[in-house]
Amino acid sequence: MNNFKDNQDSDIQKKIDHEIRMREGTCKLLAACSQKDQALEAAKSLLTCNTRILAYMSELQRMKEAQIMQRVARRPSDAGPLDDRLPCKGKVAISDLRIPLMWKDTEYFKNKGELHRCAVFCVLQLGGQIYDTDMVMVDRTLTDICFDNAIVFNDAGPGFELRVELYSCCSEEEFSAGNAPRKLASKLSSSLGRSSGKKVRASLEPGACSPVYNGGGAPLLLPSPSVPGPKYHLLAYTSLTVAHIRDSFRTHDLSICGNEECSYWLPLYGSVCCRLAAQPDCMTQKMMSGSLKVKQLVEDPQSWTNIYGVLRGTHLICYHRQEDEEARAEPAFTISINKETRIRATEKDPLSKAQSISISNHYGGEEVTHTLATDSRGDTQRWMEAFWQQFYDMSQWKQCCDDLMKIEIPSPRKPTPVTAKQGSLYHEMVTPHPAPSSEGLLLQDNAVSAEIRALLTSYYNDRGKKSHFTVIDTADDLEAVTDILKRHMQEFELRGQLGANPHWMSLFEEAPGRRVGGHSPRPHCRAPRSPRPRPRPGPQSSESDSPCSRRAWPETPPHCRPRTLSLDAKLSSLQGRGYGGLHCQCQAPAASSSAQPPEPGLSCPSFASASTCSNSSSEGSTTPELDSAPFPRSAPGRGSLRNLRAKLDPRAWLQTQV
Amino acid sequence: MSFIPGQPVTAVVQRIEICKLRQGDNLILGFSIGGGMDQDPGQNPFSEDKTDKGIYVTRVTKGGPAEDAGLMMGDKIMQVNGWDMTMVTHDQARKRLTKKNEDVVRLLVTRKSLEDAVRHSMIQNQAQHQI
Repeated sequence: MNNFKDNQDSDIQKKIDHEIRMREGTCKLLAACSQKDQALEAAKSLLTCNTRILAYMSELQRMKEAQIMQRVARRPSDAGPLDDRLPCKGKVAISDLRIPLMWKDTEYFKNKGELHRCAVFCVLQLGGQIYDTDMVMVDRTLTDICFDNAIVFNDAGPGFELRVELYSCCSEEEFSAGNAPRKLASKLSSSLGRSSGKKVRASLEPGACSPVYNGGGAPLLLPSPSVPGPKYHLLAYTSLTVAHIRDSFRTHDLSICGNEECSYWLPLYGSVCCRLAAQPDCMTQKMMSGSLKVKQLVEDPQSWTNIYGVLRGTHLICYHRQEDEEARAEPAFTISINKETRIRATEKDPLSKAQSISISNHYGGEEVTHTLATDSRGDTQRWMEAFWQQFYDMSQWKQCCDDLMKIEIPSPRKPTPVTAKQGSLYHEMVTPHPAPSSEGLLLQDNAVSAEIRALLTSYYNDRGKKSHFTVIDTADDLEAVTDILKRHMQEFELRGQLGANPHWMSLFEEAPGRRVGGHSPRPHCRAPRSPRPRPRPGPQSSESDSPCSRRAWPETPPHCRPRTLSLDAKLSSLQGRGYGGLHCQCQAPAASSSAQPPEPGLSCPSFASASTCSNSSSEGSTTPELDSAPFPRSAPGRGSLRNLRAKLDPRAWLQTQV
Repeated sequence: MSFIPGQPVTAVVQRIEICKLRQGDNLILGFSIGGGMDQDPGQNPFSEDKTDKGIYVTRVTKGGPAEDAGLMMGDKIMQVNGWDMTMVTHDQARKRLTKKNEDVVRLLVTRKSLEDAVRHSMIQNQAQHQI
């Protein structure tokens, strides 16, 4: 017993140490942050860390107290009844959190003025497990705060209490006109309205609003370091229990803290909607299994059938043989075990000596009874015990045992698409000179030390939210880019399953089947092409040589020119031959649309190389014809009508000169 | 260019800065674009993925500013001065490139050869390490 407790102790200790380390890291990050978003995220992590630390510490305290109590109580009567039945544990999942807001209609339709924005997130706590949702920015254009996270708590007992807390932090910049359009800037800077003035005053006096949430009612066991940066305040909370569980969306009441004067205030409607589901173990796991004999009273009353029974959820599933269960074959039949079922152990069957169990159910209007017998008294006892436990669990978990609720295990973080508002892309700059900084991420603020940069890298890479552009300034930096990408791939490999591989990695995996891979037939590509005849001068030949540059590809490895065409393009190009179209081809050397169809001997995937270049426009694109002058603009008059018709034709693939 | 609907776009891009050339009343760049959200992507001869509705460079005027800057025919334009060009209509794209008050456009373009080059070099790198 002591060993187990010690193990538990050390587990908690490890968790506490881990969280303390996380907290230190987050504090450093917060101190080094320059951007508001990063600071908000860091502050959120800090709050979660603090909450976790406090929860673990209180649990540790409780365990120590229990230990002491146990040692003190020597007499068996003090130790409590030993045959207390414990209900089974289960999984509790909460998802689709939505908190409606109630803006005054004047605010909602107001288009001018500064946008009062708050950063909000939820902390969900069940027992010792604490999770936080993603942070959401809320302003008056939103009608609800939605959190997409689905959180699953394992090992929850039926008496659980799931506490949902909503934290918010005002995220307005100093009330200057940083974000407002210039016309309003002067207005705003000269005078502050009554409500915004109040808010400014409130934010300047930290003591005016409700105190900063430092972990809740529990006495502070550790001094929380005071860090500069945004502080989150508890805005609302609620507790959910078994009674709130349904397999569908439900609305629950929220208790709201704070008032209008606070900077972090949001006009909440007063309720929270979510889907709270539970899967008790008795519904998902095999609670009991073994060989049984079943007597079916419907037929020959003396016939006993040997079956292999499995008790799971609300059924006793009877298979012909044990192997059937593993093979997931169809069971012979299934007996319902639910709240309506009555199970009795009959003393003695007159014909056999063993005890038997009778299970009665109401199917429709009829009462159907199955009689089970086992091979020994011990087995009968075990089966009865299993049935009693099942009934007990069902009574504890109540409506969760009516049917199996679906719980989706949240997949490793799916990267969310970038919205236009955020627009912060990470650029990996490859600078020409081999300075050490060329390897790191270049953030907008250069005054960040390498250590913090590394922290940020790992922090943001895990989230994987942003589009990823790797920028090459000149073709010479290929090596540097390769190195950077390699390093990233290694990092991801080392970190293992922490998250899905970023999608860009698939770009760089060897894929022999890729259509445009130029691996093998490289040398062949060039040769057959050279003897092709040059385009025959046609009516529009003025541009046959000049406009499009015939320059060769840069000195990067001799790949095949990309074969980017589909059959459609080839067909349309063959059609387009009559129109002439463009002759100059950068991609296909020398072979124009008027030349013969591509040689079958090309070893590259030979979708027509010839037909590249803008022959797609079956109308015959209007713009190229007009470049008799070096830089023609649209020649008015004769050309414009054609232009218009071309533009209006839905079949045309428009090209515009810029 | 990997394009998975619903996921962020990933590409190896090259930065190209084009200084507009004044021609009388007009500022020109010296290339033509094709494609757009409202265009038929199947007719795009340059795109690898025939459902790609991005903006592609269909020709580059010889000796023009775009050519000097290194723009090539077949390039797909991802951004213009920070504005996204992967999900715009043809006309929006044209407008973004031809703003009268901008003298310079900074494009992020991607092309297959670039990607191939990087991939090739990575594979070579790998091979070297294995040896």
